Amino acid sequence: MLEQLLIFTRGGLLLWTCQELANSLKGSPVNALIRSCLLEERAGDSSFQYDAAGAAYTLKWRFHNELGLVFVAVYQRILHLLYVDELLDKVLQEFSLVYSPRRTEFHDFDDTFRQLLKETEANSQQKRGVGQQNSRKVIEGKRQVGHIEGKGTKSAGKKSSGQTLGGDDEADGDADGKAKVFGNGKSNGKIGNGVSVRNANGNSLSGSSSDDDSIMSKNSHETAFDVSKLKLRNSKVHGKKGVNPLEAQKPSSKEDVGKKKQTKKNRVWGDAPPPSKLDFTEPRDEAGQEGPDVVPIVTDQGLSLMDKDEEDDGDFEVDLEEDSAKERGDGEKKVPTKKGWFSSLVQSVAGKAALEKADLEPALKVLKDRLMTKNVAADIAEKLCDSVAASLLGKKQGSFTRISSTVQAAMEEALLRILTPKRSVDILRDVHQAKEQGRPYVIVFVGVNGVGKSTNLAKVAYWLVQHDVSVMMAACDTFRSGAVEQLRTHARRLQIPIFEKGYEKDPAMVAKEAIREAVRTQQDVVLVDTAGRMQDNEPLMRALSKLINLNEPDLVLFVGEALVGNDGVDQLTKFNQKLVDLSTTGSPRLIDGILLTKFDTIDDKVGAALSMVYVSGVPVMFVGCGQTYTDLKKLNVKSIVKSLLV
Amino acid sequence: MAADAEEEQLLLVSSLRQWDSWKQLQREEVALFSTFGVLFVTMVFFYVVIRVAFRRKVSNTILLVGLSDAGKTTLFYQLRDGSAHQGSVTSMEPNDDEFILHSESTKKVKIKPVHIVDVPGHARLRPKLDDFLPKTCGLVFVVDALDFMPHLRSAAEYLYEVLTKTVVARKKIPVLLACNKMDKITAHSTDFIRKQLEKEINKLRLTRSAISSADVTSEISLGVEGEPFKFSQCVNQVSTAEMSALNGQVEEVEHFIREQVKP
Repeated sequence: MLEQLLIFTRGGLLLWTCQELANSLKGSPVNALIRSCLLEERAGDSSFQYDAAGAAYTLKWRFHNELGLVFVAVYQRILHLLYVDELLDKVLQEFSLVYSPRRTEFHDFDDTFRQLLKETEANSQQKRGVGQQNSRKVIEGKRQVGHIEGKGTKSAGKKSSGQTLGGDDEADGDADGKAKVFGNGKSNGKIGNGVSVRNANGNSLSGSSSDDDSIMSKNSHETAFDVSKLKLRNSKVHGKKGVNPLEAQKPSSKEDVGKKKQTKKNRVWGDAPPPSKLDFTEPRDEAGQEGPDVVPIVTDQGLSLMDKDEEDDGDFEVDLEEDSAKERGDGEKKVPTKKGWFSSLVQSVAGKAALEKADLEPALKVLKDRLMTKNVAADIAEKLCDSVAASLLGKKQGSFTRISSTVQAAMEEALLRILTPKRSVDILRDVHQAKEQGRPYVIVFVGVNGVGKSTNLAKVAYWLVQHDVSVMMAACDTFRSGAVEQLRTHARRLQIPIFEKGYEKDPAMVAKEAIREAVRTQQDVVLVDTAGRMQDNEPLMRALSKLINLNEPDLVLFVGEALVGNDGVDQLTKFNQKLVDLSTTGSPRLIDGILLTKFDTIDDKVGAALSMVYVSGVPVMFVGCGQTYTDLKKLNVKSIVKSLLV
Repeated sequence: MAADAEEEQLLLVSSLRQWDSWKQLQREEVALFSTFGVLFVTMVFFYVVIRVAFRRKVSNTILLVGLSDAGKTTLFYQLRDGSAHQGSVTSMEPNDDEFILHSESTKKVKIKPVHIVDVPGHARLRPKLDDFLPKTCGLVFVVDALDFMPHLRSAAEYLYEVLTKTVVARKKIPVLLACNKMDKITAHSTDFIRKQLEKEINKLRLTRSAISSADVTSEISLGVEGEPFKFSQCVNQVSTAEMSALNGQVEEVEHFIREQVKP
């Protein structure tokens, strides 16, 4: 059973919770969801797992970005509730109808919810019967038509469950077309329904393929709805026009217009026969008439794909323009470019109704590519873009803004949020705290081979010494020959005591003795150098896990190169994973911070910082940016964000 | 000669005609663009006029800041609607509204509305604070008095951050330390909270000045060098208040708000 369903604003005010399901949730799964998922730019995920004492929940959520609402469903993890997604979508639709920003109580929603819950539960039961699937779809299709007819534009925003499930493509395209007739594409914006949008586009692009036509007409026969069919035809024609002049700017407009007018006329005439006519004659008829029309469109498509990158904005802006505007544009016999310019002006002044997935996609793709050229790991760039899309879908676009700039602003905000540390990075403060408690502050440096652990350990030591903190080094790299000598050289240059026990010793024990020594000599900080190890090297990782769990350091610093791309993510996740897997205690220590080295070598390709912070959720504590002891910096978040997006 | 002249004349006429038609074309273009130009200029003019006419002379923005779970959102709705509604969850966006305080809504006299912004306390959302600070005339720093000690350090860090913001120091924005959840028996007293925060900030002063060398931002040093930090040393006024947002005991906060924004 569903544990709880909550509706709240992005501001944090609870608007509605289900009274009947008043099961007291253990812990605070919703707050955990917001803090560790939604605010960490992981909103693109599909679900969130919450573990607390005696409870294991799965949470699913939906955003209504235009109204700033969040819908969260909580259920026991052991129950695989299949209807939760469907239920959330339905609740989102229904609630957005009754919602008004000034109201804070929605007790009247109880009944609606009860009904929705019953409906979806019944649906999910029915769905198990495979044989019933087809009949259900037909019924749903009919219901949708009824909805649209009855409620006009308002209900065009609704989606029948069949669509949200993405069960059958043709039905999707069909319903979408109809929704467009009434709501001018509003329906797409309400929910991020990628499937249906894509379908609609596909239809209007390919347009002429007789297959689609036959299916469409068949569907409209089934529903026996003459007017809608006519309008469907119209909308289809418009759709094609919208694509045409923009995607192919060069072809002579006059001829095109003339041709189109003709085809349009013909098609209306072709549609005129009563629905009782035999099905198979119609598609053949249409295919024949559209014959001459087919060729230029195909070539146009090729062209548009070629200069798609350059023409992104104009492309989708007109694609979603209202039908009337298009007709006028054509009628006025204007040059296509001028029309595009004019319509984009109108659009930029008026603002757009709601952002749709198709609107955002080109801009997001550009942004994703840009992030990847800045050395951000591929899957992380992908996840970020998904999350940004989730936060923008259905939002109203302001006047005088372009989609690319809206997306850019959202991404900037997201990046700033990710890189802003969620805990203090003030190590000196922690050192003083530890000093008050009469124990040394222990920092362990871990990382793969050759990233600069020892060098940066020396830099940190230098920085600490500069601030009147007594430092001791512990040479726990008992593996690589020369490591101890290297550290000893640093210690001598910095006038810092060093604790060493030679090679072939257990590093965990060396560290332990070093800490004991530090307590005895009242040192404030112990810097533990460890051997570099590849993340897949099991014996070495086991040794590291032992070292960390035995000595319980105050800070585990992961030293990573700024040069790495995708591999940095792998290193960090594997290190964390191994620390969890190989630990013997119940609550394993994880990596607390990142030290990014070789930052001076990467110019503006600062993506590794983002990848590592995103994947681990811990802040970048230091940045190593040179060869001398003074070359240690704090991460400047704003400049990173700037160079990522330039 | 005559033929030449005639030819010349013809040429001239034809070229003139061409010129005319070209000019005609140009004129249409010019007309179109000048229309837009005039439109644009008028719009800009109106915009400026409206901005000048309706410019807000005194800011009336009060910010509610503090850690997550301190009770900012509850306080916000308590001030606005006089009720905490059905509770709240962690905020993802600021709550931002301009209204007349709920306790004053029964008065007949016309009262100046207050613009109150509840800035989320989650550390990742703190950069949002900078957007609101320039037009702020008062800060309410909400502290959880019940669960105070575990969060002392992070609260002190946040408060230190707020107090050292250039805008806060330069504009001398008054800060109210609002100790929330005072209705609970185990809640700490305001005096204790103030002293603990002062002590923590005193420590922070030492360590933070050490770090800032790497950072470009010119931080403001708090208090007097060589003396233990006291809130009374701040350039801006820092006062304390008791409240219980859940029960609606927010009179002291309302009083503070009305001191900053005269009705």
